[in-house]
Amino acid sequence: MNGRRILIVVAAVALLILVLPMTVAGEEETTNITIGVNEYVVLNNDIYIEVRDVGTVGISYAEVWFRSSQDAVGTTKNLYRGDVPAIYISGTGLKIEVTLDYIFSNAASFGITSSKALYVTDRKAGKVETEPVTVPKLIIKRTIDPNEAEIGQTVKVTLTIKNTGNGTATDITLAEGTIAKTYKDGCPSTIDDIAAGATERIEYDLKIGDDVQPGTREMPASVLNYKGETGVSDSTESQSSVLEIIAGEVLLPELTISTDPIDYVVTCGDEVPMVVTITNVGNATSEKVYVKGDLPHGVRLKGGELEPIYESIKPDKSEEYEVTLVANEEGEHVVEMNVMWADEEATAVFEFRAEKSGLEKYYVYIIAAIPILLILLWIIKRRREYSY
Amino acid sequence: MLNILVLGLGQCGNRILDAMNREAFGRGGTFAKYYTRQKFPASVKTIAINTAINDLKGLVDTRARDRLHVPHLHGVGANRTIGKRVFEENKEIIMSEIDKRGTFDLIFIITSAAGGSGSSFAPLLIRELKETYTNAPVVCITVLPFREEGSIFLQNAAFCLKDVIDEKPTGVLLVDNQYLKKYAGDIKSAYDKINNTTARRLLFLIEALNSEMLMVTDLGDLKTVMNGGIGIGTMGFYEASKDSTIKSAILGSFKPSGLLFPTNVYKEGARAMLIIKGDKKYLDLDLITKTIEELSTEIGQVFKGVLVQRGRPRVLSLFTLNSVPELEKLYATAAEAIRFEKERRDRSRNQLDSAFSHIEDLEPIY
Repeated sequence: MNGRRILIVVAAVALLILVLPMTVAGEEETTNITIGVNEYVVLNNDIYIEVRDVGTVGISYAEVWFRSSQDAVGTTKNLYRGDVPAIYISGTGLKIEVTLDYIFSNAASFGITSSKALYVTDRKAGKVETEPVTVPKLIIKRTIDPNEAEIGQTVKVTLTIKNTGNGTATDITLAEGTIAKTYKDGCPSTIDDIAAGATERIEYDLKIGDDVQPGTREMPASVLNYKGETGVSDSTESQSSVLEIIAGEVLLPELTISTDPIDYVVTCGDEVPMVVTITNVGNATSEKVYVKGDLPHGVRLKGGELEPIYESIKPDKSEEYEVTLVANEEGEHVVEMNVMWADEEATAVFEFRAEKSGLEKYYVYIIAAIPILLILLWIIKRRREYSY
Repeated sequence: MLNILVLGLGQCGNRILDAMNREAFGRGGTFAKYYTRQKFPASVKTIAINTAINDLKGLVDTRARDRLHVPHLHGVGANRTIGKRVFEENKEIIMSEIDKRGTFDLIFIITSAAGGSGSSFAPLLIRELKETYTNAPVVCITVLPFREEGSIFLQNAAFCLKDVIDEKPTGVLLVDNQYLKKYAGDIKSAYDKINNTTARRLLFLIEALNSEMLMVTDLGDLKTVMNGGIGIGTMGFYEASKDSTIKSAILGSFKPSGLLFPTNVYKEGARAMLIIKGDKKYLDLDLITKTIEELSTEIGQVFKGVLVQRGRPRVLSLFTLNSVPELEKLYATAAEAIRFEKERRDRSRNQLDSAFSHIEDLEPIY
């Protein structure tokens, strides 16, 4: 049906061209001319334009032979649709710029532009049974929803394929990009034919494997290979996609231990209170929590239980206890406290400095002074014995 | 072990007693008293007795508890009359303090005959001691003054010595400052030398009496010697030189230069005691015996004691005398001084009375 209409239109146009010479405006005016294969038109009794072949190889083209009265050999050019205009200058200096507008099965329609008015002064036209060339053109778009997912989660991948061409796309195969250690469920490798102007929507599930490493992953483009009705193959591809894989929430207890000194500097023999706080900062209850304390040499436990055992500590809950230490020796003392749960362990250190008391500092001198004092007392005693 | 009491009376007695205490420290020097005790050769108790507290304070090597102050102002001012009264008033205190020291086998009283406290206390104390300690010989070492010290001291010495002898102590050993001062230059040195010499000889005697000797003499012999003659005696001493014999050492102790009181031992001696100490190699017993036999023909009974001790021979001789010519001189000088003093006092009195006579019939007009 369409073919007949086109033939009528083409015949009518050809008739008008023959009967009514076309006057082209003097300044850069464009004349549209359809020329059948192996036919020609003569412009201004000077330029011959003959179409030798039309076809489609991915893109429509027409092989055109330009010659003129003073250029018998002329030049043959392949004009491509959408390409820049082909320029031809006749032997008399007439310059034309020709673009390929459209091709038919055995004809091509051109737009001819010149600074001079163009007239079709002659034409060789046979019976042109032109059939329009149908070419499918697929556009594919891919979306991932959501594009941020945890390990083990399944996301929905949507492929939207639109045929923007004028022919039906057939033999469509889909080569879908893959992210390592993800698994597609329902992703087709072939797709039914898509008519011109039609849109196909394909959805499939993409499951993120448990052993995948979290992070930003790029999913390569989806590639479509297809053919047109003419059997010409073509392909298209989507943009690559990005999927943010995040680690899934794991329920684990996480304990921290901290110690609070009341006074950093103490005197030897004084009591040193140490407050130990164990907090579960994880998201699961910790069972059987053991606390171990390592007292350094010169420090002893005076009060409290240094190494308690807790049956459980719930998330965001703390256990706190206080012990009393006594340092017998001066110097820096470091008490290491460990909390152990499951196979985990956390450590905190409790540091304080013990100094000798004022009296102890002078023990050496006092000890040294004692015999001197005794001697002195003895001398005084003896002196008093002999003093009257 | 003998229990011996040594009493130092008055300033002179105190100082000789202090010298004994110092000698008892041995060779420790000034600081010996701060780290050691006196090492007397016997159980010796010492008491320094005085009415003048400053004299007691001046002692250095006598323990405070061995110093007894008999309170009377600051001394009796060389006044024996007052001294006697003070003694009588404090007799119980003095005897009580002595009694605290226990019982005694021998008592020495050291005093100056010239001073106030010592010269007045000594005779009375002899009496009390004889009554209290009936079995203990009481020997009084009496120090005679320099003759030029003044009439009061001479008077005191004369009367004191008489009083002492009247109380019949076991014996009186004289030490004459006048005689001994020639051995030192100045007065202080002379006093020190006299004090030290006297102290050493007493300690020498005490050690001998308390020791086991090669040839024995003892307290009984001492009493016998002290009972000889008129009960007055003195001591001599001699330390032999390297090459001298024991005989020369014995005879050396009889020389006037070694005596504490000037006398002719050979002529005046009644009884004697010789105490010889020294290394055994020097102690020729035959020679000692022979020498003493020779001396006995001149002096009378001579007791001997020989003590083996390191060092060269040292001989202490202790005598009692039949007569004491030097005392006659002393008493004559004292009597003259008393008379002179009395005459001068009478003259002064008369002069004063004459002066007073000018106002005899007058009355004060104010």
